[in-house]
Amino acid sequence: MFPSQDKNPDDRDLVSRARRGDQEAFSQLIVQYQVPLYNMALRMVGGRDDAADISQEAFLRAWEKIRTLRDAPFKSWLFQIAVNLCYDHFRRNRRYGTMPDDERSSFGLGIATPDPQERAEANERNRLVRESIEALDHDMRIAIVLRDVNGMAYDEIAGVLRVPLGTVKSRIARARAQVQERLQQHPEFFPREDVHAG
Amino acid sequence: MPGEPRVPTEPTLEELSALIDNELDAGAQARVAAHIAGCQACQARLDGLRQTAHAIRGLPMEAPPRTFTIPAQHRQAWRWAPVGWIGSAAVALLLIAVGIQNLHLPARPTATSESTSRVSGGLAYGPAQGQKGAVAPLAAPAPATQYDSQSTAAASAATVVDPTNSARRLVLDTDGRSYSATGRMQVTVQLIGSPSTSLNSANQGLTLTLVRNGLGVALNPVGVKSGSGTPIFGGWYDLAGFPLSAPRAGDYRLEATWMIPDGSGRVLQASVPITLN
Repeated sequence: MFPSQDKNPDDRDLVSRARRGDQEAFSQLIVQYQVPLYNMALRMVGGRDDAADISQEAFLRAWEKIRTLRDAPFKSWLFQIAVNLCYDHFRRNRRYGTMPDDERSSFGLGIATPDPQERAEANERNRLVRESIEALDHDMRIAIVLRDVNGMAYDEIAGVLRVPLGTVKSRIARARAQVQERLQQHPEFFPREDVHAG
Repeated sequence: MPGEPRVPTEPTLEELSALIDNELDAGAQARVAAHIAGCQACQARLDGLRQTAHAIRGLPMEAPPRTFTIPAQHRQAWRWAPVGWIGSAAVALLLIAVGIQNLHLPARPTATSESTSRVSGGLAYGPAQGQKGAVAPLAAPAPATQYDSQSTAAASAATVVDPTNSARRLVLDTDGRSYSATGRMQVTVQLIGSPSTSLNSANQGLTLTLVRNGLGVALNPVGVKSGSGTPIFGGWYDLAGFPLSAPRAGDYRLEATWMIPDGSGRVLQASVPITLN
């Protein structure tokens, strides 16, 4: 189901060493994937503690099972574990995740503008985008998160979610249309296009 | 209308969305592009979807609030994992055969989800949180870890010594304790006795984070080598460029977390207080 071998050649060596019990190699894999994995979980379940718990548990399970990993790319396999944990989280809580809802979410990697007014507007835009993602059902949410947050290709997403390529394409398109519709309710931040999508 | 030139068939929502991602095959891409060139409505739909995708992609990537590690018990469990139930059954039979029930073994921590993340090498973890199982937040260094923190009006420094190797130390320095929120902070992290000579912070397992209320901004440390060969990381950081939440002024901690790249899984963590005015 996975599209191909590891696209990152460094992964192959690290995974090979990790499969032989080299924890340093696995630690490097953790360092390499902790930020994208955590951010995927964060956009799925919302709470930072829950996202961190899911990420930690995903790494633990990956370490325990890495000997069973054969030809699949490590990244897709790791994300598949984390996605399953996100769904477990939803089943346990029987509700959709709660996105971060305060300005603390502006803490992050990267450089932000120091201008207070621009920062305030950027924070508000980001809050609206997060809430729009939160409003999606889980299947659409994970598809758009893997695509637009994690930058995965469609075939990679299909491998992670174990669904056909056409399903990935449909879920991403519908998710974008729904997010767009919600964002356009705030024309001061997201000017409406001449014609609605979808 | 019959006989009137027409643009190609109107693309579906899925096709417009996939066009943004370059996920259409060549034939479909040409057809959709040809249609859009002659259809303002579909051009607007495409622009809307593209702007939406850009808005989502523009969400800031956040730094994890804690370091992810593999507890020592999981390493041990891993070694036995391939033996599987056959191995377990064989061990059980062997124990029965030697009358293990009459032995008095010292109590050991059991590798359950409740206890696996108590201790990992040189860094202690807080108690497991209720239903959180194996996941526990980082806390203060273990008692066995030597931990010295010095602060003066001019500078701050913290040193953590690896409890299993006194020649290995993590030293964190800043050139001040208190900075203007638009000022510049100098940070130096020495990885003394590192088993790796890499000047790539990721290869060294080093992360540097400015933290407040459990949330952090990751700093990008640049590596150099000292005259003695010690990898040194850090740099000068313009605080005005940090994505800090308002109010920017306040008390922070600068944390250096070093997952020692020797396969042990040990983590050393040093932090110094930082105040932004």
